[in-house]
Amino acid sequence: MSTATSVRPEAPLPAAAQPLLEVKDLVVRYGRGRKAAAAPAAVDRVSCSIAPGETVGLVGESGSGKSTIGKAILGLQKVSGGSITYQGKDITSAGASQRRALGSELRAVFQDPNSSLNPRNTVGSSLAEPLRLRGVGAAEARQRAEDILERVGLPREAVDRYPSQFSGGQRQRISVARALICDPKLVVCDEAVSALDLSTQAQVLNLLADLRDERGLGYLFIAHDIAVVQFLAQRVVVLYRGQVMESGPAAAVTENPRHPFTQALVAASPVPRPAEQAARREARESLGVRTGAAAVPGPGGCPFRLRCPLATELCASERPALRTVGGSDVACHYA
Amino acid sequence: MIPNVAPAPADSAEPTAAAVLPKAPRQSAAKKFSGSKLFASPASIAGVIWLAALVVASLTAPLWLPFKTEDQDFTAVLSGPTAAHWLGTDELGRDLLSRIFASAAGTLGTSMITVIVAVGLGTLLAMLAAAAGERVETVISRVTEIMMSLPGTVIILAVIGAVGTNIPLIMGILGVLISAGIYRVMLGQAKSLQSQLYIDAAKVDGVSTAGISLRHVLPGLTNTIVVQAALIFAVGMLIQAGLAFIGFGPPIPQPSWGGMIQGASQHVYDAPWLMVPTGAVLALTVLAANAIGNALGKAPNATASHLPSAAARRQRGKAVAAIAATAPASQDVAKNTLSVRNLSVGVDSVGAGKGVRLVTDVSFDVEPGTVLGLVGESGCGKTMTALSLLGLLPSGVSVTGGQILWNGKNLAAATEKDMEGIRGRGIALISQEPMRALDPMFTVGYQLTGTVRRLRGIGRADAKAEALGLLEKVGIVDAARILKTYPHQISGGMAQRVAIALALAGRPRLLVADEPTTALDVTVQAEILSLLRSLVKDTGMSVVMVTHDLGVVADLCDQVAVMYAGEVVENGRTDSILDNPRHPYTLALLAADPHANHGADMPERLATISGQVPQPKDWPSTCRFAARCQFAGSACLVPIPLLPSGTGDGVVRCVKADELAVEGLDWLATDVPSHHILNLVEAPAAATRTAEKDPA
Amino acid sequence: MALFITKRLLMALATVLVVAVLAFLLVHAMPGSPGAVSLGAGASEEAIDEVNQRLGWNDPLLLQFVSWLGAAVQGDLGISLIDGRSVSADLASRLPVTASLAAGATLLSAVLGIALGVTAAVRGGTVDRIIGGVAGMAVALPAFWIGIIFVYLLAVQSSVFPATGYVPFEVSPQDWALSLALPVITLAVGGGAFIARQTRASMLEALQQEHIRTLRATATPTWKILYIHALRYASLPIVAGIALQFIQLFGGSVIAEQLFAMPGLGQAVQNSVSTHDAPSVQGVVVIATVVVVAVNLVLELATKFLDPKLRAS
Repeated sequence: MSTATSVRPEAPLPAAAQPLLEVKDLVVRYGRGRKAAAAPAAVDRVSCSIAPGETVGLVGESGSGKSTIGKAILGLQKVSGGSITYQGKDITSAGASQRRALGSELRAVFQDPNSSLNPRNTVGSSLAEPLRLRGVGAAEARQRAEDILERVGLPREAVDRYPSQFSGGQRQRISVARALICDPKLVVCDEAVSALDLSTQAQVLNLLADLRDERGLGYLFIAHDIAVVQFLAQRVVVLYRGQVMESGPAAAVTENPRHPFTQALVAASPVPRPAEQAARREARESLGVRTGAAAVPGPGGCPFRLRCPLATELCASERPALRTVGGSDVACHYA
Repeated sequence: MIPNVAPAPADSAEPTAAAVLPKAPRQSAAKKFSGSKLFASPASIAGVIWLAALVVASLTAPLWLPFKTEDQDFTAVLSGPTAAHWLGTDELGRDLLSRIFASAAGTLGTSMITVIVAVGLGTLLAMLAAAAGERVETVISRVTEIMMSLPGTVIILAVIGAVGTNIPLIMGILGVLISAGIYRVMLGQAKSLQSQLYIDAAKVDGVSTAGISLRHVLPGLTNTIVVQAALIFAVGMLIQAGLAFIGFGPPIPQPSWGGMIQGASQHVYDAPWLMVPTGAVLALTVLAANAIGNALGKAPNATASHLPSAAARRQRGKAVAAIAATAPASQDVAKNTLSVRNLSVGVDSVGAGKGVRLVTDVSFDVEPGTVLGLVGESGCGKTMTALSLLGLLPSGVSVTGGQILWNGKNLAAATEKDMEGIRGRGIALISQEPMRALDPMFTVGYQLTGTVRRLRGIGRADAKAEALGLLEKVGIVDAARILKTYPHQISGGMAQRVAIALALAGRPRLLVADEPTTALDVTVQAEILSLLRSLVKDTGMSVVMVTHDLGVVADLCDQVAVMYAGEVVENGRTDSILDNPRHPYTLALLAADPHANHGADMPERLATISGQVPQPKDWPSTCRFAARCQFAGSACLVPIPLLPSGTGDGVVRCVKADELAVEGLDWLATDVPSHHILNLVEAPAAATRTAEKDPA
Repeated sequence: MALFITKRLLMALATVLVVAVLAFLLVHAMPGSPGAVSLGAGASEEAIDEVNQRLGWNDPLLLQFVSWLGAAVQGDLGISLIDGRSVSADLASRLPVTASLAAGATLLSAVLGIALGVTAAVRGGTVDRIIGGVAGMAVALPAFWIGIIFVYLLAVQSSVFPATGYVPFEVSPQDWALSLALPVITLAVGGGAFIARQTRASMLEALQQEHIRTLRATATPTWKILYIHALRYASLPIVAGIALQFIQLFGGSVIAEQLFAMPGLGQAVQNSVSTHDAPSVQGVVVIATVVVVAVNLVLELATKFLDPKLRAS
């Protein structure tokens, strides 16, 4: 392994500092009408905030609502309740003009490198689009496109090529370049490395880490893989069925999870060392977490109660509020 | 609800010949219109030439036509082709050639009205519906549904009753009626374009809805627009001629194709020739337009079929017979032990990418009751290797050499009939996408009991009980209920359990599992892995587990074969390989895996491997990893055999393995200098070393 | 499911109503008032006015429409301006002609198309190319032209079938079938080719589904994979294609009726349009729409039944 003894930037900023982004009691429901109102919300009263230069990881399984939160922040998903504030401004239901103004500071890198670039446009024109939209001239836009390509480790000549001429990892670098070309303050990375192979995934993760350190970027890093989140994030928010189960410093949440779901999630992620994995497996099996296959909980209460080894009647009747346990906030009556 | 399941690394999803093959530009949701496709097939070239010639001939008709359209030659009424009248004459002695060509421009021109109205309106509505959201889409779709369920011809006739035979107007109204169908075609595509992530990216930029439609959606529709235009052009001509045929054509003396055929139908008894020229010209013109449309359109692709056509099966049968003829006599291997010897898989020698090797010289053994992991990145040949064990390689790809020895048979040279006896009973398969692996049209019960009956030869009642037992065995509690459900009614994890039950139906002795947990949540993955482990323990079957996840290997596998660029680079016991990797590629994979570290050990930078796995056609004859290897030197530029690794019966394909082990070298966390990424094949290995920037 | 059927029934009703309004407006846009049409050229202004007054032509449009609709619901579509006969009675005698023609042609198209399409997809190679080529030609040939050729070959050259005319089923089932043969075959050439292409494409798509590989991996016999599983998967688009074909053939029967001199709806609409016989035009449009919408509804329910996903929801 690398001999580097790295010191991660310490997360918490002075309490007085205004968060870059603040999500408060966010609720998102899909569909319309009475049926939709009765169904459980895709995102149910989620709150989190990101300080300038901070990376927050949003972890959960499919259906946890993590991507929906990202979309709501980016204005790609209608919000049913709660608020999203960016640098003190409410952007919960920002209109097109406010979005356009916001679009240079709040940007996104998406999951699938195959579809995040228009295959019919050259890399240069995809990169230049956000600049041109903000009145940057063609020549300058091209210049900046070449510069940013170079920064993400691609040759300047790439501007004139098409996305199909690049591999998945290279395309994801181009997407990162597109996000960074306007000097943003916050980048939402929605499963940005999930579709990549190990070695390319590592390349992109390193790049994201470098850029953060270089430019003081904030990331909302959405992923299903807790190890990937752990690599990049200072704080982690764990979601289950649209609700926050646990949130806190990355090391605390991943090394010493308090919530039974976080414990299950961390324990289920296999490590490539056979002896250690055998021990983890036993530890996981002794947790007593039940399979989630058929467990669809009714409304109210803790969404994890049907799988939880600690659950009691209280868990069915009362939704646990987030409370501080150890270094993290945990939504569990018994953690 | 929210599709954020971990996707598979790009190629492991579906290995069709096209997907594994040289970097053809990727097919995106909608194709770009390309002129080259228009001139790719002889039929469409002929079509273009015919249409162009017809238009030119018709527009210049007054200059060259031998007769005026109304010239009557009473000496030659209803004549066949003569020197004076090349295509003969009609009942009034008018020259057919002149009349056909003189009326061509009008026919084609008015048909274009239909095309423009239909395609224009249909595309516009589709773009609107796709951009404006569910409610608008519902309204537009309802209206078009109504339009599509109308008897169009009758309506057009009623319109003619009201407005008379105003051909351009009629053709325009026809266009409106047809636009509903165009909308249906375009909507799917416009919606799929709207769901592309680059649209989301543009929205985040603040591009307006109209801007997105014009800049990102419309260009993606151009190919379909041209295809539909060509097809509607043909329809327009046919309908216009049909109308003229029943007497609603242009006013009387003016010639029209339909009217001329109508005239011919009156003389079918005395002058059958009369119907030939006009009908042929009309048919040719329609054919020409269709040919253009078909050439540009998406031809259904038979090569991606999971069940090759009869013709393809015959061909493969011959190839297998050839292999069987040259294969050495099967060596004896212990019962229920799989022994793969020097297996090679390649693309068949016809079509694109012919003869490219996808797997070369792969050997491994799987003892009963053990699990072998085939691990590596996308494009390394893992899935191809696994599928060859069942004779289920995709169309256009086949085993080109080596042996797959299983219970006295060489499966590499087995006929389809032999394989049918082995599949399910001896060797079973579970695949990556459990939802797609089950037939959506039948209940779980139908699929499972049918399979049990077939593979065990037992009666219906017994099979039902057995199916229940199988579902319980794979950990499904309410098995009776699950039997009655359709695959879309159960979760992914449940579907994978059902798929495993299906694979177990014939009591196989070997289970081939192709990334069975990649599409599942990590907690579900852990459950499935536990299930597989207990099945191996209980039944004594063996498993070949294809995966890209080293953690899965550590969890489940006894043996592991690491594959890189179509060959095994390291093979041995899992604990020795993962704890003491000998091949630089294994070393690098472990160093790049964030799961390998946690807590305070998490490095500031992960190790990376410069560049990417080379395309099969670019595999060198030397060490295939050398171009990306931190330790490569001149010794690596020769073909490298598998050598004993020194631990147990492990083998490694690296000349420097011993040196690395002695010096205890680690794969360093480096990053790639930018200019080498695009040219990785040429990139000298040394260059990557000089660029190291170890943070220490 | 009940909700779905109700919804679709309402949709169908709405469709018919929309068409009725449309037909009504179109007919009013026709040149010539009913009086002028029925009395013919040379009638005096007063006589025309008198007829118009009697037929309610001068009433407000809405009133006229409501009274027409009221009568239509009770089966009375008015009287022809040309021969004074009841439009309903006339159309009732014509409907069986067109219906047997369209149904026969759809049936033959479906049988031919599915057989050829499946064969092309399953056999592949040369067989596929030949069927593809023939189908490509067949969709390009105008039905009326094919019809003439059939008349020439099968009626004129060798009198296998009667060239023209229609014999009602009640008169002689055998002659009825013979009289329908040529027109049905004529229409089925294009229709069959269309369905063959649709079937081939759907079958190939079905065979590309991953569950086909699962079936092979569990040693399912090839015939079962093809004709139970793949065909079942392909059945949805094929049925949709057949529904579309029926609509087209029902309209397309105009041409066959003209060519083979059959007294069907197509001939009626053609005649009444030529003679500006407004009530007849209106009647045919509505009747044709009712039939097409009804058949469409049935096929849509069939699709619903075939698709477990739809059935479950």
